[in-house]
Amino acid sequence: MRQKKNQKAIYVISFLLLLVGVGYLVVSGINKNSVYFLNVSEALAKDAESIKNAKVFGKVLAQDLEEKEDSLGVKFWLADKENQAQAIRIDYAGAVPDTFKPGIEVIVQGSMRETGSVFEAQSLMTKCPSKYKKQ
Amino acid sequence: MYLVAYYCLLLAFLLSLVLAGWILSSLSSYLDKKLCSFKWIERFQLINLFLLVLASFVLLWALYVRDFSFAYVVDYTDKTLPWFYALTAFWAGQEGSFLFWALFLSLFGSLFVFMSSYKSLSDLSKKYFWIFFFIIQACFLLVLTGPSNPFQQLSPPPIKGNGLNPLLQHPGMIFHPPLLFIGYAGFSIPACIGLSVSLGREDKSWLRISRNWVLFSWILLTAGIVLGAWWSYMELGWGGYWAWDPVENASLIPWLCATAFIHTSIIGRQRKSLGRTNIFLIGMTLLSCFLGTFLTRSGVLESLHAFSGQKVGGFLLVFMLFLLALILLVTFKGQAREKNQLSDFITTPGAMLVLAWLLLFTGIVVVLGTMWPVISKLWSENSIDVNADFYNQVCLPLFTISIFLLVFCPWLGKRSHSSSLVQITLVAFFFILAAVLWTQGMTKFLPLLAATSSITACFSIIILFFAEKGVRKVRTRWGAYGVHFGVALIALGVAFSGPYKQEREVVLHKGQSFSINDYTFTYKDFSKYTFPGMAAYQAKIEVSNADKIIGKLTPERRIYQNFKQPFAEVSVLPSLGNEIYATLLGFSRDQAVRLKVSVNPLVNWIWIGGTLMCLMGFVALKKKITYFDGQVDEVAG
Repeated sequence: MRQKKNQKAIYVISFLLLLVGVGYLVVSGINKNSVYFLNVSEALAKDAESIKNAKVFGKVLAQDLEEKEDSLGVKFWLADKENQAQAIRIDYAGAVPDTFKPGIEVIVQGSMRETGSVFEAQSLMTKCPSKYKKQ
Repeated sequence: MYLVAYYCLLLAFLLSLVLAGWILSSLSSYLDKKLCSFKWIERFQLINLFLLVLASFVLLWALYVRDFSFAYVVDYTDKTLPWFYALTAFWAGQEGSFLFWALFLSLFGSLFVFMSSYKSLSDLSKKYFWIFFFIIQACFLLVLTGPSNPFQQLSPPPIKGNGLNPLLQHPGMIFHPPLLFIGYAGFSIPACIGLSVSLGREDKSWLRISRNWVLFSWILLTAGIVLGAWWSYMELGWGGYWAWDPVENASLIPWLCATAFIHTSIIGRQRKSLGRTNIFLIGMTLLSCFLGTFLTRSGVLESLHAFSGQKVGGFLLVFMLFLLALILLVTFKGQAREKNQLSDFITTPGAMLVLAWLLLFTGIVVVLGTMWPVISKLWSENSIDVNADFYNQVCLPLFTISIFLLVFCPWLGKRSHSSSLVQITLVAFFFILAAVLWTQGMTKFLPLLAATSSITACFSIIILFFAEKGVRKVRTRWGAYGVHFGVALIALGVAFSGPYKQEREVVLHKGQSFSINDYTFTYKDFSKYTFPGMAAYQAKIEVSNADKIIGKLTPERRIYQNFKQPFAEVSVLPSLGNEIYATLLGFSRDQAVRLKVSVNPLVNWIWIGGTLMCLMGFVALKKKITYFDGQVDEVAG
């Protein structure tokens, strides 16, 4: 009988240990890897200092869209989905996805340049192209 | 036509609702119990199935003949699309995939009627089963007749359709969504059985009755996930098979929950313990299927795949809360037969329980991470998201421990002389292998542990089959250990191809070359092909390893008629060791090309392991189902 009780205690203790371990992983993981997830208006409302690492989503505008020649990247205006007057200049370095074009929704990740006028993006994701719905 | 199909759905909805109400009222003692006749319930269910089949045929026919008066047909097909891709548009969109899911739900419910396990249930259990089943079926039909109707008419019909996205015109994509949906639908049956048998207070083992259902659905879900990973590796041109995208997470959550249940149900069958846990877990498996759909279909997350479908989302949320309440109620109010105490901790069942914890924790982490933009809104002004690194940091250690458990799990709690000899051998093998891999340059701790564990786990399984005659003789054990062998191979593939993948993005002019490690890539030629409906631009890259030419890569960019943006067609040099992978990102007028090239070590073992998991899963199915916990006929690990 005593042994049975011991076994139960072992189960409980190992469960708690595992729980604490996972809890630690989650908390440290979130602290290290969380980024602001903002729309363009929210990003503009924040000061450049606080946008060190953020994801910004919005709609790609057609005007002043520059594909960088011979190198990887693109510069464009990203507008707020609801309020197109609010726009932010994005400078993206890296491979441009096939589905990138004016009018689509994208999520960029990166940081605001010190001057606060240009958002430097390291990653650019387009919303999955009409996997379920046409644009 | 659309009216016929629409009324079929509406009629099936009303029928399901009326049936649920009818059976529910027959439970109350005030009414004559004889009013509720199973013969009629079963017949009505067959009518439901017939109505859904009819509606599905209308949609398939409309897709086949490209009847553009159907909004759904216009959205997902055009005249140039080959007919088999046109038919697969059935599940390319939200409305169609819900119909597909509902169809299989109904089909499985109807099939269950003809099984001896159904006939063995008591009247009370049957009644509960049908109540749960009809509620779920009615829920789907409500969505299909309301916010997500696949039979919307366009008048006047447009002359041409939008066409199917070229990314979806790929063999991986033909089977990926239906496998997931059939898996989801399949879990409804064991969930209904579990809940109803525990409410019906029967003396039968619902775990035995539902074993094959769970396993079958699990196999399809696994196949769907692996196929989806392969598709994104081969077709999206990211060179990645898993990005922790919300949609990928959505299919992983039910898988984790179901896998945890499969292991606790073994403890339930053999030791007759964990009764309530099992009822709860099968319920949660079904619920997580809905959660997955909710995450992808509600627009709650700004996911890559999200689209506006708020109405469906709100409805699903209400239904999920209702289902959760129901599951909790049954878990605590229903009767759990399996009440025995757990075995000692250091035994195979003990390890299986720990594995179930690990899987469930992983599932909770994935839910937390996926929902974080929503959850963080509770205290933060702006929502906060987590990176893919978050999942890697939290989930990969948990997966690694799971693989580690697999090494010793079959040998735990055995006191015989030979098994302790085996354990010592395994420990020695483990450390020697780790040392060898370390000296070969695998110095990152977690991948090293995962790779060592997975190879040792394979070794452990092989020894088990050589050493124990009893194991060799049981077919289901071949299945179970075969699945685990597959899991170990996947872990091996991930441990290498994840952290040790090497990738470069370059711009090359003709004749130029660059290298990754010992591999040299030379840009030789550029050409253009045209086909009806599509034009392809192809770069030819010669690959050599230490001055020996090992092959030619031909990545392409294709432009399809109906789609303005180009699509990358990946080119690989397949190998069981280092797979070379190239994507053509772009090209300029003077034929300079932008390339992404990567060397992926052992990546193909993931697909081999995945295939093995699914095939051996079928071997683990039981031919004959026993209803009572009599003889100890299986000790699957």
